[in-house]
This record gives sequence, structure tokens and C-alpha cells, in this order.
Amino acid sequence: MLGEIQVINVSKAFTIRHNKADSLKSKVIGIFHKRYREQRETLWALKGVSFNVSPGEVFGLVGRNGSGKSTLLKVIAGIYPPTQGKIQLPNGARMGAMIEIGVGFHPELTGKENIFLSASIHGLNRKEIEAIYGAVVEFSELDTFMDTPIKNYSSGMQARLGFALAVNLNPELLLIDEVLSVGDEAFQHKCMDQIDRFQAQGKTILFVSHSTDVVKDICDRVCVLEHGLPVYLGAPDQGVEQYHALLSGNHS
Amino acid sequence: MSSVFYYRELIRNLVLKDLKLKYRDSILGFLWSLANPLLLILVYSFVFGHLLPGGPPNLAYFLMVGILPWNFFAQSLMMSTSSIIDNGSLIRKVALPMEVFPLATVLFNLAQYLLALIVFFPMALLFFKVSVAWSWVAFVPVLVLHILFTIGMCFIFSTATVFYRDIRHFTEIFLMLLFWLTPIIYDIQAVSDSLRTVLYMNPLSYFILAYQDVLYHNVFLSVDRLIALLTLTFLSLGLGYSLFVFCKVRFAEEV
Repeated sequence: MLGEIQVINVSKAFTIRHNKADSLKSKVIGIFHKRYREQRETLWALKGVSFNVSPGEVFGLVGRNGSGKSTLLKVIAGIYPPTQGKIQLPNGARMGAMIEIGVGFHPELTGKENIFLSASIHGLNRKEIEAIYGAVVEFSELDTFMDTPIKNYSSGMQARLGFALAVNLNPELLLIDEVLSVGDEAFQHKCMDQIDRFQAQGKTILFVSHSTDVVKDICDRVCVLEHGLPVYLGAPDQGVEQYHALLSGNHS
Repeated sequence: MSSVFYYRELIRNLVLKDLKLKYRDSILGFLWSLANPLLLILVYSFVFGHLLPGGPPNLAYFLMVGILPWNFFAQSLMMSTSSIIDNGSLIRKVALPMEVFPLATVLFNLAQYLLALIVFFPMALLFFKVSVAWSWVAFVPVLVLHILFTIGMCFIFSTATVFYRDIRHFTEIFLMLLFWLTPIIYDIQAVSDSLRTVLYMNPLSYFILAYQDVLYHNVFLSVDRLIALLTLTFLSLGLGYSLFVFCKVRFAEEV
């Protein structure tokens, strides 16, 4: 049985640089001209976020744009180190972070080559990739296009290939960031079915979405973030209410 | 480092991707990568054989022994300056051991280096009156140390470029200077004492001299030379990898 995900008092600061000195030249000029000197400002994207996600739970993260949802997902995924606090993940769990689907796809490579490349980016070895290859092709419904460079795919086809791969990486722990907003209605429907299936299999899912209907529908609990602070943690219905309150507060 | 081994399939795919993309839709394929060293060897043979005579005997072979490993080193270093920043879109979205990128860069260039050796060595045996010597077996340890040294340097240069983008331009100029400060196209014994002191301050000289020992002069490595190579490799890998590990947590925010 998988352990729980613990987010313990996590804060994340980004350094915003005005006049960013990203070359040696600008650094040297900055020594002599104050006007060109780098100005630094610290932005706290997350301020002391704590929660636990139990095994098999579907946990929603909601909040306005810039509230820190995606940053939190990236900290949990291990892409950004937290500035303070820590993330405790269950030992040995394979984590699938769908921050974006089709990560690492190269337009000049064929569908098949891209499946192998992108799956290895997610840490699969060749045997594991060969084992899921058939399922990926089937899910994407693109078997006649596997030897075509994906630059010749439509954007919908690319999204299908990306999602087909993402769901077949078969993680025990899924982090999903708004990937459902791509594709047509039929495709979105298929994605939702797949998430239902993951839920039925008892996988832990962390889910970022702006779609309050989806959140109410599938989440067991939600956390509402505002300016990096968790303002609500609990049942989805009240969470969505809180979120709507924040949105309307913004308009008045 | 264990996670890097776990991601070996990714390294393999990155190298294959670069090789495929480089030679896809080209008629001569990888033969193009031989054009550059071939032209260099021809030009320098002409210059030092006819315009400025007095170079080492069997000049074309001497040039070949130095230019092929130089190209491997220089191209790896040049490519490594963009190996992290060009994969920025990946690094910001997936957690993966970022060591794979400079490693894939070195292996991609190693593949081209080995292919060039496979083509050039039979040519040397046929046309340059070169004969196989026992010392050639020492080529293998020299190559291994040279690869490890190059990996260490690529860790340093790929990290530095993340923070200062103009390292790339610096590297281009730096490599041009380094080429002339390495005894690749001239014999180190033929230069003045003061210049020789400068050449011995260039770490790459030791590797090129080692290649010349085992492949051109047909002698085994002296103990001094071996110690120098081991020390340089150890320093390069140690410094390079420590710097990389120290800085890599910030890569996702900087690229």
C-alpha cells in the first residue's frame, strides 16, 4: 500500500530580476553604471502550504491565475526545490507529472520515435516502453501515422499522442495540471473517463483545474490557494464556493 | 549518479535523436562529419608540407592523430554550452537527472569521433605507410581518460552558460586560441623553450601528446604522462561534477 503525500509548510520564493544580468557583459557594465545594475525582488509564490494527501485520494488545487497552483505542483514533482519546508513522498512510488502533455516531442521525429523519446524522458527503460507501446498507439487511434513526423500532425493529433502516452506511463501517483483543456469535446470526455478509471484503481491524484464542475465531480478534497496562501482546505463544494467568492471579490 | 544509470535509455535516445536529426534527408549522411577533419588535414598538409616545410615526418598521419581527438573535445565543449539551456522547456516540466544532457552531448560527439577513426585508420594504413604497433593498445586507456576529462569540462561549461549566456561566444573564441596552444599541427619538440612552457600549462596538450605517443611515435605512455592524465581527469571530473550538482537545483528557474 502506498503511503501518503505530505506537504509540510512549503514556501517557494522566486527572485524576479529587473535588468537581468544574464551575460557577463551586462554584469561588467553594471559595475560602472548604476542604471544598468540588476535589481532584485523576491516574490513568494507559496507561503507555508501544508496538507496531506491520502493514498487513493483525488485532491484538487484551485485558485486564481498566479495563485501558486502550478508552482506547488512543480515543487511536489521535484522540478523546483522548495525554499522552505519539505515534501514527503511515499517511498518508491512512480510519479507521473502531467505538467504538460507531449513533453520532449520533437517535430522532425516520427510518432513512434517520439513515444520512445518522451517515455524515456519520464524515466522508463526500453522494456517498459516496448510493453506499453501497443496500448499508447491504440489509445491515440493514430496507428496509421506512427511513421510520420509529427510536424505533419494536427495539433489535436499531437495532443492525442501526448495524452495517450501520459496515461500509459502508469504512475501510482498522478499530478495533473490543466491538461484537460486541450482537444475537442470527445477527446476531453475520453480523458475524463481515463481519470475515472485511475480513481477506480485507487491511484492518488493531485489535480489542478479551473473547471469547478470537474473539481466538484471528481475531487475528494480541495485546497484553495490565494497569493500562495492556502485559504481553504476541505470538501470540494465549499472549496468551489470559496473560489467563486475570491473571483467575485476580484471583480467588485 | 545512480539515477543517471537509471535514465540510460534517455541518454541513448537523446544521442540517437541528435544523430538522426543531423543526418536525416542527407545523401552522404555521416560522411559529412568526415569532411571537416579531412579538409583540415589536407590544408595543413599542404601548408606545412609545401609552404612551410620542416614539419614532422609523415605529416598527414601526424595531423590526423591530433585533429580527430581535438575535434571531439572542441565540438563537445561547444555543444555543451547549449546542452542545458536548449532543453529548458523539458527541464521546467519534468523532474529528471539533468546530468543526462551534457553526457548525451559528449556521447553524440564520441559516436562521430569513433566513426571518423573507423574510416581514417584504414586509410592511414593504406596510404600513409603506417603500420600497426603494439603501443596502439594503449590508445584505449588514453581515449577513456580523454572522454572522462571532456565530460568534466562539459559539466563546467554547460553550468556556466545557464548563468551567463555569453559563455557560448567566449567558448568559441577560447577554442580557437586553444587550438593553436595545443601541439596538434606542430611538434612540441620543434618550438622554443618559452613557448613549450606555455603549451605545458594547457591541460589538453597532455592528452594530444599521449595520443601522439601511442599512435604516432609508437611508444607506450611514460609513468609521468600517465600520472598527468590521471590527475587532469580526476580534477576535471571532480570539479565539474561538484559544480554541476551544486548548481543544478537552480536550473529549472534559470533556463
